[in-house]
Amino acid sequence: MAEIKVEGLSKEFGVGEDRVVALENVNLDVGGHVFVSIVGPSGCGKSTLLNILSGIETPSSGKVTITQDNHDAEPGYVFQAARLLPWRSVMDNLLFVQKDRSDETKARCQKYLEMVQLGDKVDKYPGELSGGMQQRVGIARAFSIEPDVLFMDEPFSHLDAITARSLRRELHEMWSQTKKTVLFVTHDVGEAVELSNRILVFAKGGKLEDDLQIDLPFPRDPAEDAVAVAKAQVLRKFEELDLIAS
Amino acid sequence: MATTLEQQAPGPRSAEEERLLALRKKEIRDRWIWRLAGYVFFLLAWALVSRIVGDNLIPGPLRIARTIPELIESGRFFSSFGATLTRIGIGFGLAFLIGIVIGVLTQSRWWNGFFRDAVTISLVSPSLIWALTGLVIWGFEPQGWIFAIVMTTFAVVTVNVAEGIRALPKDLTDMSRAFGVTNWRRQRDIVFPFLAPFVFTALRFGFSVGWKVTVLTEVFSSNEGIGFEMRVASQLFRMDELFAWAISFFIFALVLEKLVLQRYERKFFRWRAEAST
Repeated sequence: MAEIKVEGLSKEFGVGEDRVVALENVNLDVGGHVFVSIVGPSGCGKSTLLNILSGIETPSSGKVTITQDNHDAEPGYVFQAARLLPWRSVMDNLLFVQKDRSDETKARCQKYLEMVQLGDKVDKYPGELSGGMQQRVGIARAFSIEPDVLFMDEPFSHLDAITARSLRRELHEMWSQTKKTVLFVTHDVGEAVELSNRILVFAKGGKLEDDLQIDLPFPRDPAEDAVAVAKAQVLRKFEELDLIAS
Repeated sequence: MATTLEQQAPGPRSAEEERLLALRKKEIRDRWIWRLAGYVFFLLAWALVSRIVGDNLIPGPLRIARTIPELIESGRFFSSFGATLTRIGIGFGLAFLIGIVIGVLTQSRWWNGFFRDAVTISLVSPSLIWALTGLVIWGFEPQGWIFAIVMTTFAVVTVNVAEGIRALPKDLTDMSRAFGVTNWRRQRDIVFPFLAPFVFTALRFGFSVGWKVTVLTEVFSSNEGIGFEMRVASQLFRMDELFAWAISFFIFALVLEKLVLQRYERKFFRWRAEAST
């Protein structure tokens, strides 16, 4: 079982008057087959936390351990923009992050491309695909390495509402099938409620303010009363924490 | 299964697609017509000037068309071209390697400071300075023309490569780091393909500068090659031969551009063409 442990994590950028605190003394424990959303206003350190967890950035202080059955866990990452290599085909983009190019690996990549409904686009270049399709390739790429944990940084924020909704459903289905631990950054409370078991609320200054459990059955339809009520409760929590004003 | 609004089954072309296809064909046809018109115009203008000034001073296109086969028959044509091409190959090949190494090094601010003015000087200096310096120091020895070609062309390569490295896409390198991609694979799949257009530009401009300086060095310090032949022709007032060498040179440069550089460019950057269609 994958486990993410964050202890006393802080991150600062700049020095002197330019010093900005992105994260302040964050403690966190996430594990198992859970979908955890991180929400909060712009500049609250959501993406910085994911960048530190995935090794793109280093913390100023504190400790991060990501383990799978007491070994180092392998993370996958889905970015805000798809970040595909424009000069490589869809299949080669998936193969780029694999450890080998064996037939077995190719078959696995093909399987995940089919899961995001792009099984017939393996030879296309990213520039030939729409934004939604490119993001699907990004999702397939992250799943194709069969990671122990999956970090997702506002992956649907650049997409139109209809495409984003369709991708949310696909993502949820993949998460249910593969039983990964997912950490999902979003600024959209409705999206967080629709997808997550748990919502971590961050405030400006990088403080983890609240840890909410969403105990509703999946799949969740945003039009359902229970989902709308849960969303209203989260937004009320935002108001209590004065996050909407900030 | 989720609904995918973006995916459509391939079917017969729509009227809009047919219209765009017809427009594209027309554009290609028009471009060729204008290109041919350009050639016809300049050939006629050349023939006219030749008639006005006199065939002995400026030989017309028909006379040059007869002189080139004569040069080929004499055996001098291919030996001279071969000599010049060998020089360009060696000189520019060396300049290309040096240019790339310095281009990569200039990412460090210390090395950037070290090479900065040398690169600027190389870019702005007339190639004649290096050709004459090489002649004075080494005479007709190969070091003379190698020196002149390297000094004139390495900076073109350096500037382009440095520009490319400065623009390396951080989002892609961060992505590769997040997925634990090895450094070698990162170089092969991100850095090299990204730098390829910059290297092509360096190759194209560097080669065009290299041609000029190579011929120039042959005029001064050689007893073979196109530059040498042009010098002899001008000294003996054989204007038809002088023009024949020059025109052959133009044709070769055009063929190189169209058949070699552009073809490889299309092959390397197929992904761009696919995306734009």
